[in-house]
Amino acid sequence: MLKYIFKRILQFIPVFIGVTVILFALTNIVPGDPIKLIAGEKSLSPEIELQLRAANHLIKVDENGLPLLDENGEAIPESLAAQYGYYISGLLHGDLGNSYQRKLPVIEIFKEKYPYTIKLALVGIVIEIIIGIGAGMISAIKRYSFWDILVTLTTSILVAMPAFWLGMLLQLLFGIKMKLWTGGGFYLPISGAGGAISEFQDWVHYILPAITLASVSTAYAARIMRSQLLETMNMDYIRTAFAKGLSSRQVIFKHALKNALIPVVTYIGIDFGGMLSGAILTETVFNWPGIGFEVYRAITQRDWPIVMGGVTLVVVVVLIISLVVDISYAFLDPRIRYDKAKE
Amino acid sequence: MALEKKFIGRRGFVAGALATSAIAALSACGKKGDPAPAAPAGDEKAPAEEGKQPAAQESGAATQGGTLKIYRTNPASIDPFNAQEDQGISVVYALFDTLTNFDFEAGELKPLACESWEANEYATQFTFHLIDGAKFHNGDPVTAQDFKYAWERICNPKTTDSPSVIAYHLAPVKGYDEMVAGQADALDIECPDDLTLVVNLSASYADFPYVVSHPALSPVPSGGAAEDFQKFFLAPVGNGAFKMDGEWVDGQYIKVVRNEDYHGEKPLIDGIDFMIFKDLQTAFTEFEAGNIDITDIPTGRIGELSQRYGVSDDGYVANPGKQVINGEETSTYYLAVNCQDPAVEDKLVRQGLSLAINRQAISDTLFEGSRVPADGIVPPGIDGYKEGAWEYSKYDVEAAKAKLDEAGLKEEGGKRDLNITLVCNSGSGHEDIMQLIQSDFEKIGVAADIQTQEWAAYLDALQNGDYQIGRLGWVADYPIMDNFLFPLFFTGAGDNRSQYSNPEVDDLMNKARQTVDAAERIALFQEADKMIAEDMPLIPVMFYRHTQIASRRVNNLYFGPTKLMNFNKVWLSE
Amino acid sequence: MSQEHLENEYLIYEQERAAMLNNNPSNNGNPLLNQDVEQEIQGPSRTLWGDAWNRLKRNKLAMIAAVYIIFLVLVALTCDLWAPAWLGSPIAIDSGSSAGLSLLPPSAEHPFGTDLLGRDILVRIIYGTRVSLSVGVLAVSISTAIGLVMGALAAYYGGWVDVIVMRLADIFLAFPYILFVIAMLAVIGPGFQNVFIAIGILGWPSIARVFRSAILSVQENDFVSAARALGASDWRIIARHIFPNAVASIVVYATMSIGGAILTESALSFIGMGVTPPTPSWGQMINDGRTYLATAPWIMIAPGLAILTTVLSFTLLGDGLRDALDVKLKDA
Repeated sequence: MLKYIFKRILQFIPVFIGVTVILFALTNIVPGDPIKLIAGEKSLSPEIELQLRAANHLIKVDENGLPLLDENGEAIPESLAAQYGYYISGLLHGDLGNSYQRKLPVIEIFKEKYPYTIKLALVGIVIEIIIGIGAGMISAIKRYSFWDILVTLTTSILVAMPAFWLGMLLQLLFGIKMKLWTGGGFYLPISGAGGAISEFQDWVHYILPAITLASVSTAYAARIMRSQLLETMNMDYIRTAFAKGLSSRQVIFKHALKNALIPVVTYIGIDFGGMLSGAILTETVFNWPGIGFEVYRAITQRDWPIVMGGVTLVVVVVLIISLVVDISYAFLDPRIRYDKAKE
Repeated sequence: MALEKKFIGRRGFVAGALATSAIAALSACGKKGDPAPAAPAGDEKAPAEEGKQPAAQESGAATQGGTLKIYRTNPASIDPFNAQEDQGISVVYALFDTLTNFDFEAGELKPLACESWEANEYATQFTFHLIDGAKFHNGDPVTAQDFKYAWERICNPKTTDSPSVIAYHLAPVKGYDEMVAGQADALDIECPDDLTLVVNLSASYADFPYVVSHPALSPVPSGGAAEDFQKFFLAPVGNGAFKMDGEWVDGQYIKVVRNEDYHGEKPLIDGIDFMIFKDLQTAFTEFEAGNIDITDIPTGRIGELSQRYGVSDDGYVANPGKQVINGEETSTYYLAVNCQDPAVEDKLVRQGLSLAINRQAISDTLFEGSRVPADGIVPPGIDGYKEGAWEYSKYDVEAAKAKLDEAGLKEEGGKRDLNITLVCNSGSGHEDIMQLIQSDFEKIGVAADIQTQEWAAYLDALQNGDYQIGRLGWVADYPIMDNFLFPLFFTGAGDNRSQYSNPEVDDLMNKARQTVDAAERIALFQEADKMIAEDMPLIPVMFYRHTQIASRRVNNLYFGPTKLMNFNKVWLSE
Repeated sequence: MSQEHLENEYLIYEQERAAMLNNNPSNNGNPLLNQDVEQEIQGPSRTLWGDAWNRLKRNKLAMIAAVYIIFLVLVALTCDLWAPAWLGSPIAIDSGSSAGLSLLPPSAEHPFGTDLLGRDILVRIIYGTRVSLSVGVLAVSISTAIGLVMGALAAYYGGWVDVIVMRLADIFLAFPYILFVIAMLAVIGPGFQNVFIAIGILGWPSIARVFRSAILSVQENDFVSAARALGASDWRIIARHIFPNAVASIVVYATMSIGGAILTESALSFIGMGVTPPTPSWGQMINDGRTYLATAPWIMIAPGLAILTTVLSFTLLGDGLRDALDVKLKDA
């Protein structure tokens, strides 16, 4: 087992390096000079520009940190390999560099932003588990009933619906129309994450964004649950159980559910990573202070340390979760361990 | 209602009272013949503070208390160190008092943190006499050393990883070049005593007292409060009428409260919530839902909102029923023309193109007439503005055709031998402006392509001179003519994107900077402006105007032409 | 975004099918995990498509979806002929009258209302069909083409080629998808053609996996061994024998991917990295509507419905095709 875990971790290293190298390459061919952009529309004075480049390892510096100049008085650019080296060595020391635009360490920025995205994703997962699995079960148990058709229909629609649009519909309904209809008596906050300036308690702010973020995943969880349960119910041992005269409640909850749940839980685990990165749109619509939008903004502003740091964190979390999912699965199903080891 | 309390758990909220007041507000709207009672923005605002007496609307006397809620995008910085854009600067302005402040209503520069100042006869040395008894929020007295410290903090490469990008404000100060290059550790500033600040400049700059009105040049306590850069960056300690309440919560809000120890007249409101939004859309939805007091107006809604909420009398002060703020700003939207490009290097061509642009139509079509066709680069509101200053910055199709004919570009079958590429950055509605300009050019037989680029790539192209005609906006740092002419037209100046060079203009501007007498100085700048107008290195298009709106409970909010809000006199009615 | 969800569609289908047929649960493991599954694929059948068509005809939902898609295609192709005459230009702004036409609610004259600049929403949605359909089809064509080559390389040569291609696919899939597309667009710039190029280039790994596993299963068949024994070249074998057998799965996968690509395009246009104005795009129109959510919600409702129905149609058609062609796929 340890050997298998070790093997899986080793497999992630090339993936991780691949992702960061590709990203690093992208940042270096994107048009737009990140340093000049710091000053925005106004021009940046050459001396300050040089200092900024030196501080961010973009040009070679002497031992005092002052820029090295060639015989023409021009700065000498640092090689891409060396820049990548700085990034990796910083990463190993837990340092993601300083934001070009924000003047703060990237770690500090993410320390503040990451919890919001994680918390939102967690709330989303809870919705996914309760509603997704619940709806899937009802749908499978009462196959071809009204509820089954309703679930199937709703999930098909949710999957085909742009989540940001759903978010706006929710804002319209619960934030604006509701406030109007009830004369300001009942409504939900439509933006922000609460805090000292909000009239709502913080958790209320999570309701609409979490529903929006979880919508597509919940629909999939329900559909996977339904099909899994249907399949399991057709298996011989379940038939045997029925034949033995056990009540359908007993059969479903004691036998069928356990087997059927495994793939659903796997899906939900993997989906957590998707939620972290897919949150950009939800964060945009609900003005959520998370990392998705921060990274998007950083891309448009060419604030590379934030982009590199943000994507690195997401990828690491995704890889760790998929590792955990795989390992726990290997524990649950011995055949997989064998197959994997063979591979 | 019980259900609502249980699920919503609102803070400090009295359900019954709110419902009543909201209904009252609604019916009040109805009586006024409100054309769209569907969204009574601001009216049904839940009281954030308990036990406050509702004030009589409009006619009532100023009341104390309440928290003003303002839409902001996430600022670059609220520390003067990096105060570079209006969102952050407005916070700095609330937290700090600079040496001077330009009073637009009086039309003159007034002392703020100082009592008076004087210049030597060559305008190379300025002496500021500070107010006695002013304190920082942490109790430290405000001294001349604090200004010196603040300014050197901006220029010192070791403050963070480099000097601040806004260090250019201090470029006129002697010792600046050495300091930003890391070769010196002080500027040539003397502090003969705690209340006297003597600044030596490397060249004459008679307008320097205007420069120090910029919030980036606010004092910073030299007693150690700013030692921890990150801490100060997130919660600056200033000398202004408001102080931070907690840290700037990135991407969410900045909360400031009244500084009870402020030496001057204390503000009426308890505090300000700068509510940070990623974009205007969500913020505006919040405004219409009644959760924000002051926001920008999205494109295309000025007319409708003006009708519904009334327009400010002078365009700068918002009061209930006069809530739309639409005064002129000190900024200009223009087309930079790359004077090195063979197709447009002839000034006749540039004059012709400028004459072809129907500026009023752009303003009417896209901005509901809320922007002003530019008749020069210097906007009204700046001392020295002259109506029609630029002869060719107007709409005259026949004259435009004549200019191009004169330049040797004859019209044949409705076409001239001139192809223009217009570039702009994507996503901010500039494409629409460019489309209208394109059609204007077509009317005089000039074919034009539009190229949109992402902001970062676009700036790159402009900075490298890799463009033909592109759009830009110039926002004045200080409300003086110098700030429109020197950076944009002086040979080799950083913001001279047109790559324009005219030695005579350079001479005139240098001469103006050496002239201490204000009237004479302005006359010299006007002379330079006239010469530039003839060369047309850029094509002015529009002067910006404010597009802000306040909620009904906001009284006496002044929003000045340089986008600085005066929070000291605002009061809130219920 | 919806890229990764496509694989779920197969998973769901697998189980439903298994439940329906009540077959022996020899493959009841979790298909999300990389588990080889024996597959039964027949040699080329002359009646494959004919049979499929017969089955598809009986699937009402899929037929409705197909008719809707044909309708959209016709609209996209012919709208120049009739739409502007009926509802006005989708792009041009009439400076004289735009103020009076701005933000009108739905009426007989403007069935879906007008936008800020006084343009009819319906005509913009009609023209938006062009953008959505062409981005969908073109992006999927690109990713299918790349995916086929990569999948073929991996499956046919195996060994280190397989390892490299599949690792590369892993890297692409490990990337936060939407951020990757945005970064890509930052490199090549926004705009219609760059959008489908970016979506297309980044969409290949899934299809490569599908094609790879399809080939692997076909490869073991006798007719391939026979062809190989007769000395046919590698590419000839792939083109003549393997590709026709895998084409059904590719058709199904591609149909479903179009919906995903349309969703991605709308998301990109929504945040302003996609199709640039004035070209009307549904995502962009929804974004325009954000400012008027409280006062003119029709601006964002209609384009959202357009996206929903279009994507739903492609999903339903894909479902129908999958059932009709009896595609049984696993990504390996």
